Amino acid sequence: MSTNPTAASTSRAILRFETLLALVLLLEILIFSKTGVNFASRENLFEVLRLSTEIGVLALVMTPIILTGGIDLSVGSMLGLCAVLFGKMWRDGGLPIPLALAGTVAVGAAGGGLNALLITRLGLPPLIVTLGSFSLFRGLAEGITRGVDNFTNFPKSYLFFGQGYLFGFIPAQLPAFALVAVGVWLLVHRTIFGRSFRAIGFSPEGASYAGIPVAKRLALVYVIAGAIAALAALIYVARVGQAKADAGTGYELLAITAVVLGGASIFGGTGTVHGTLLGVLVVAVLKIGLTLSDQPSELAGILTGGLLLAVLASEALLKKLSARRARASQASVSAPT
Amino acid sequence: MTKENRNPKQKPQAEKSSSNLELRHSSVIRHSPAGPKLLSKGRSFVIYFREWSVAFALFALLLVLAVVAPGFFQKSQLLSICSTAVPVLLVACGISLVIISRQIDISAGSQFAVCSVLLGLLVQAHWPTLLAGLMAILAGACCGAFNGALIAGLRLPSIVVTLATMATWREGLRWWRQGEFVRDLPESFQWFGLGQAGGQAAVLVTTVVLFVLVVFGMKHFSAGRFVYAVGSDAEAARLAGIRPARVTFWVFVVAGALTGVAALLNAVRFADVDPKTGTGIELQAIASAVVGGVAISGGRGKLWGVLPGVLLLVCIAPALVFLKLPPQWEKALQGCIILLAVAADGWRSAREKG
Repeated sequence: MSTNPTAASTSRAILRFETLLALVLLLEILIFSKTGVNFASRENLFEVLRLSTEIGVLALVMTPIILTGGIDLSVGSMLGLCAVLFGKMWRDGGLPIPLALAGTVAVGAAGGGLNALLITRLGLPPLIVTLGSFSLFRGLAEGITRGVDNFTNFPKSYLFFGQGYLFGFIPAQLPAFALVAVGVWLLVHRTIFGRSFRAIGFSPEGASYAGIPVAKRLALVYVIAGAIAALAALIYVARVGQAKADAGTGYELLAITAVVLGGASIFGGTGTVHGTLLGVLVVAVLKIGLTLSDQPSELAGILTGGLLLAVLASEALLKKLSARRARASQASVSAPT
Repeated sequence: MTKENRNPKQKPQAEKSSSNLELRHSSVIRHSPAGPKLLSKGRSFVIYFREWSVAFALFALLLVLAVVAPGFFQKSQLLSICSTAVPVLLVACGISLVIISRQIDISAGSQFAVCSVLLGLLVQAHWPTLLAGLMAILAGACCGAFNGALIAGLRLPSIVVTLATMATWREGLRWWRQGEFVRDLPESFQWFGLGQAGGQAAVLVTTVVLFVLVVFGMKHFSAGRFVYAVGSDAEAARLAGIRPARVTFWVFVVAGALTGVAALLNAVRFADVDPKTGTGIELQAIASAVVGGVAISGGRGKLWGVLPGVLLLVCIAPALVFLKLPPQWEKALQGCIILLAVAADGWRSAREKG
């Protein structure tokens, strides 16, 4: 594992993998610009980005979590809870919008903190902790709204954040998306935190012997995920103009799909933020392209699942092949001695 | 054979623990099939603390209901709870096997829907119920085999594989059926043509027989012990002559078949088949298994603990209604129970480590 040639070849494989993904994206765009009505237009490009913002930011914050070898199933439910709480604070609590915004993000961070507390303090597996909070957060959202309450009639100035266009053509949520993307990219690829996430993903024990405060770093990624899920909730509510308890159902799985499609290993340690962004775009373009080409929307889900399996299977086969080749070359080297 | 000559080193520790509740039991005793038999009743309670505490929580809930809302204990009410619990219990059994072998399966809900719709269509085409049911079980086994082949054969991570198959089966079903219900099922299909009372009895008996078989098999069949061995340490299992890939594959097949049975026993309750059926049942099943004491890290968990786990989670919704509380809090309470159960696990293991 630690020998130089293998490390170099894995980094090359990752490079290859992302180029492959970019090629898939290019292929999609080429096909859909032939078959789709109005697909290859500036408006549609921005529309794709506008519609993928919420899942995009969730996938972005899921990346460092998966890098540490963890997973967060609760982000979709967190989105629902935050959407409902935001509506509650604004309509029933009488808070002005800016305060409600801040309060929602704080709730999100607190929810992430609950996950972090259970995962780091009690050493519980993230999968099962976030499965519990997945149920808890969604249940709270349903309980607060009694399953039927629906918050609407938000002020225009807030809805602009999700429906308006800057300079007439840039969707208003795009700067937030870009900001999160750049922030997470810098965090993962240009700071000591990013290195420590990978180290924890490879081996938590090894990381702690290397002097990395594992618990603190883990807590950080889950709290960030909670806060960004709250941000996604605010963007979502502004886009659709209403807040219901079922907001964001299933988003966690879409986000995980995008991250894994982007080349991150679900066991932690490897993965990149730009890969995740490519994964998000591949899924979003597939969905919108199929709609514009007048194909059934179910095809998008089937193809996404198939693509995920195809990508993973080809990666596994490649790895098997290269391992066999490495063994063969080793055998030929050691044969004369 | 007494305990001393089996494992003499255990004696002083066990003595200490009888006076001190902080039992630091050896995992060997807990996991060896013969171990629990050697222990006295009181001590086996301490060792199965996890499973018993869930049973006690269930008992406490029922006690509260008995005092506050005795109407809960009507026969029809209990039967309706049981028939809601049946599909979850069977799916949870399958998923417990998967979790014990240190994998996960989140595609069970989609498999459930595929089996249900297939079953409905076959019955609609006037296949005999039993044959159609067998086909549904076979379909479940095939879905499981597909997962198993990818996971055991190519060594792909189970969570990603089953995430992909979950989306693929569900969307494929939606594409094929366009959300259409399977209607006009023949009379002879409902409750197996035995009438409601007879049908309910048949469903319950089938479930109990299957459940007992799985519990017994996991404890006493070599195949069951292989699952624990692979989940505890696949490499050690391999050195002991077990083929982990094969065990993993068959675990997924069995889980798929159990999902098929669950779909069959669920479908006979209704006059038509909803293609959206089973949405979220996989998470409910995973939650029940974990609440019932199956460790998500693999290799540990008693199958019988799944029963109180399922009943506890299923009872919450009707209990809320009978206690005149808003039923919308069901999911939140379930989430709390899951978190409490795993937190108790974590707290206990942290204390055991000292």
